[in-house]
Amino acid sequence: MTDELLAIEGLGVDLPSGGWLPSRGRPAINILSGVTLDLKRGETLGLVGESGSGKTTLARAVLGLQPISAGTLRFDGAPLESGSDFRAIRRRTALMFQDAAASLSPRMSVGEAVVEPFVIHRAPAGDRRAKALDLLAEVGLPPEMAARYPHELSGGQARRVGVARALALKPALVIADEPTAGLDVSVQAEILNLMADLKDRHGLSYLIITHNLALIRHVADRIAVLYLGRLVETGPTAEIFARPRHPYTQSLIAAEPRPDPRLRRADLAIRGEVPGILRRPTGCEFHTRCPIARDICRSTAPALHTIGTGHFARCHFPETTKKGG
Amino acid sequence: MPSAGRKTVLRALLRDPMAALGLGLVTLFVAMALFAPWIAPADPIRLNVVEKFQPPSLAHLAGTDQLGRDLLSRIIYGARTALSIAITAVGLAGLAGLVLGMIAGFGPRWLDGLLVLLFDSLSSLPMIMFALAVITVMGPGTGTLILVVVLVSIPAYARLIRAQTLALAGADFIVAERAMGASGARILLRHMLPNVVGPLVILLSMDIPVVIMLEAGLSYLNLGVRPPTPSWGNILYDGYTSLRAAPYMVMIAGLPLVLSTLGFTFLGEGLRDALDPRLQGRGAR
Repeated sequence: MTDELLAIEGLGVDLPSGGWLPSRGRPAINILSGVTLDLKRGETLGLVGESGSGKTTLARAVLGLQPISAGTLRFDGAPLESGSDFRAIRRRTALMFQDAAASLSPRMSVGEAVVEPFVIHRAPAGDRRAKALDLLAEVGLPPEMAARYPHELSGGQARRVGVARALALKPALVIADEPTAGLDVSVQAEILNLMADLKDRHGLSYLIITHNLALIRHVADRIAVLYLGRLVETGPTAEIFARPRHPYTQSLIAAEPRPDPRLRRADLAIRGEVPGILRRPTGCEFHTRCPIARDICRSTAPALHTIGTGHFARCHFPETTKKGG
Repeated sequence: MPSAGRKTVLRALLRDPMAALGLGLVTLFVAMALFAPWIAPADPIRLNVVEKFQPPSLAHLAGTDQLGRDLLSRIIYGARTALSIAITAVGLAGLAGLVLGMIAGFGPRWLDGLLVLLFDSLSSLPMIMFALAVITVMGPGTGTLILVVVLVSIPAYARLIRAQTLALAGADFIVAERAMGASGARILLRHMLPNVVGPLVILLSMDIPVVIMLEAGLSYLNLGVRPPTPSWGNILYDGYTSLRAAPYMVMIAGLPLVLSTLGFTFLGEGLRDALDPRLQGRGAR
């Protein structure tokens, strides 16, 4: 498979719950388990889930910022195992943060920040100052921005600087964590259009992490839904929105506000709170909130069922839940 | 750091009358120390027994001591002694605290545990007892004095830096650097360092008077700077022994101690006030 860029297989991440001294009887906290996901070259994959579902942890694990406890990672055909593998992927991948302003070093000017990747990887950049201005121009920022400091930037400007820095080394993959968080709607649209333009121009692949369904519907080719660190449904965007099969996905889509007062909200709205990750429910993780849960859901974890081409759902009754959409 | 930031700090200092007074006093003492040979009216160690115990007059503005040495000159040269010891000791301790604190905060956990244990052991020693013990082993003198101050001050500085480093380690911009593949050394030097030194500078400036007092105290006990080198502490001691013959000596020797302590303290507090709102503003972003 040559068009596969990133392959995640059976990924598990555990967080040790104790300190640095050996301890007994305190099990590790299971953040992610059994996540299998792949990303093709030139594709935009949307990773959707509530806060605490493990979206950001997944991104960090891919870059080796978070030690993994199970599974394998493969980037561009090569396995990611040792420190040098991760150094290589960090060079070819860029991470965009939810809080763009906080992801910029506070005492480094914008001009220095965007060429930081060149300095880190000792990559030839020619004239660094010219390179910085090129990058700023590419994300639509005027040259005088180069002398500004992060606290002098607006939310949209900080976001553009984040994009410029991400582009610096012409990465193969850009991981964007909530790329529109904290921006007003017009600026959100600008950033998304900019990201789409850059994707076409540089042949980028995106892994976009968000809880914003409207955003993901607009930009993603494929969607993966996470619930409590487990992948519950994955499939092509149009298919997921038209025929969601996992009750969690259905509830998410039903809960999305619609700008039409005559439409009543679907009755499949989600109930209750996310159970704490420390007390992961037995059987199917979602049974505590699921409208169609039966006995088997409380005892046995469901497997991923194939629904259609590239469409999978982790539910015992994927055929009986045809509502929503 | 943008130069605009420095200008606002200076302006904030001058707007606060206490801080401005502190800055003025510190500038005065630094000038005294730097230009002592040009300012001092006489040689501070030249004896002139004929003119001993002269009260302040036009010839000797601050009078003379029991050996006829010009007191004003001795005070001015004493500033040199006090400041050079205080700045060297606090500077070395600050540097060591900075390095050890950053290593503890950023390094592996076992190393952090070990260093914290070391800081705790060092700071559990009572300062005066420790100073006397070191002086007993190494003999009194400037070098011993500096060593004592450095060893006693390191834990406080290192703890401050360690806490700052730990707080920063999880910050988004540090994670961003790691995600870009930056080395540990680059993250520490280029990104951590500029963001942790601010509070340390404030603490150091407030500790300088403590060291000046310690030097004076030990010199008073004849355990610090050796005579005839002028030190505010041994001038004070000379004044104390000649209290009946020349009561003005004690007051004249005490004045620079009081003024320099107040000056550095006001300046340190002013610096803290001038820098803190900016730090909080940055942290909240």
